[in-house]
Amino acid sequence: MARLSDLAKTIRSKNAGVNQVTFDIIFPDAETYRRTLASGAITRETVARLFRIADDRISHFVTFAPANAIKFTLYRSQPSGSPGDWDILGCQQYGPLIDLEIP
Amino acid sequence: MNAPSTKRSMRIMISTGHLGTAPSNPESFYAGIATQPDYLVADGGSSDPGPVYLGENKNLGLFIRDELELFLTAARARNIPLIIGSAGDTGSDFGVDDTIRHMREIADQHRIPRFKIGYFYSEVSKNLLIGKLDAGARLSGLGGFSDLTREELERATRVVAVAGVDPFIRLLDMGADVIIGGRSGDVAFTAAPCIRAGYPMALAYHMGKMIECASLVAEPFMGKETIIGTITDDEILITPYHPDQRVTVAPAAAHSMYEREDPHFEHALGGLLDMRECVYEQFDDRTCRITGAKWVPDRQLRAKLEGARKVGERYMGVVGIRDPFIVRNVDAAIAWSRSAVAKRFGNMRYELHFHVFGRDAILKEREPERTGPGHEVAIVVEGLADSDVDAHRLTDFAVRMFFLARVPGSKGSSGLAATTKETMRSSPGYVWNVNHTVPVDNPMELFSVHMTEAGV
Repeated sequence: MARLSDLAKTIRSKNAGVNQVTFDIIFPDAETYRRTLASGAITRETVARLFRIADDRISHFVTFAPANAIKFTLYRSQPSGSPGDWDILGCQQYGPLIDLEIP
Repeated sequence: MNAPSTKRSMRIMISTGHLGTAPSNPESFYAGIATQPDYLVADGGSSDPGPVYLGENKNLGLFIRDELELFLTAARARNIPLIIGSAGDTGSDFGVDDTIRHMREIADQHRIPRFKIGYFYSEVSKNLLIGKLDAGARLSGLGGFSDLTREELERATRVVAVAGVDPFIRLLDMGADVIIGGRSGDVAFTAAPCIRAGYPMALAYHMGKMIECASLVAEPFMGKETIIGTITDDEILITPYHPDQRVTVAPAAAHSMYEREDPHFEHALGGLLDMRECVYEQFDDRTCRITGAKWVPDRQLRAKLEGARKVGERYMGVVGIRDPFIVRNVDAAIAWSRSAVAKRFGNMRYELHFHVFGRDAILKEREPERTGPGHEVAIVVEGLADSDVDAHRLTDFAVRMFFLARVPGSKGSSGLAATTKETMRSSPGYVWNVNHTVPVDNPMELFSVHMTEAGV
């Protein structure tokens, strides 16, 4: 059992337009990328469960081999910078991914 | 295969991903500019900092003047055209005019010989858009927004359209030495000179995409360092100018998906950049070579619109809680404040938000860690109302209600929250209410180009 932060080189989140936040998990090499994918720990279903959202709040879930990356994009509950939003850039939304356990 | 030296090429330099947020670092800037690139470009802004700046006609960056001074003096001294997109953070008319004012003052101060400034505006009148709606056009929502109605459009304080390459090309044709663009796509100001010179459109747009954030495309992570993109008729090359940075294959590929919902596609006014077949290769130890992008022109041109609507005047206050019983029952304390506000201010329009730091202030309902906060929490109370006085009274009252909270079971009787800081005035609150596309007949339709001069 490893934590995602032990395996990935980059774990980040950032606005993709004003109403979505996109998450990039980038691995240092193809083998770690494939191993993590094969573990089944990061899928549409596990992302929905981790962030406590319905599947239709995930606008994209893409694996991107040229960058050894898994990328998914979530709709915000309100556009960035609205009153009530504290993460205007969406850049701290990746927090829960850091300690995610990868079997 | 042609030797690189016999190929024609164009080199475009960039040193910042967002002009004015912090100064570009001069060492790599001067190392890059000394190689005499064909153009110096900069992205003046984006929608990223939120709707307040567009709504309020306000600058975000505190180093705009410093960066413009560096860019203008270096570019004019070497006769390198300077192109800036999304001027003044939001690309509003105010942002364009304010950037031109800076340019004039810097030119006078440095006694720069007379030069031509080309500029274009991106603000769109609501009447023009209402006319399109009345004529049956659909203003399609992006990113989960439903289609724009006339009522919602009328509530927008200000609307800008996002330009493609065309206004930049037009101004270069008109002989501009410096271009100050209104709101424009991140890729447009780099792609424009490449397309104008006849390089393949797909490579031109892809180069725009790769260098838009300057040194963020390179490793290790460094902001505000210089990158030069080189385009030829069959490839693009991305080279860093900080001596410790390199552009390698996987990070370069990863950058193509930065801040986009999908790693394979990028929309611009005029078409779609398809990056599915791209090949990233190491060209030399610091430079990445990229080929294979495709450009798919749109049959119906659609321009992206961004608009902000004002919600109200805004204040914020900070509440600190240390009593473990109240920490555990923080929702009850919030409910008390909320209901007390409803009783006192129920006859006016207001918004109230409680950000519980130490629990879920940043992720809110998406926060998976629900085991309970630590031994102390801070609650930022954000209150909005139509007038400054009402917003102040509302927010201050909501903060006091934590001190006076009635939470059954509490042992405290001297104030249930530490609330020593004055309730603070914040910017007015805005929301993005326009995030849509509008059909246009030609890519210049919403953008008016102009020419002026500066210098001595």
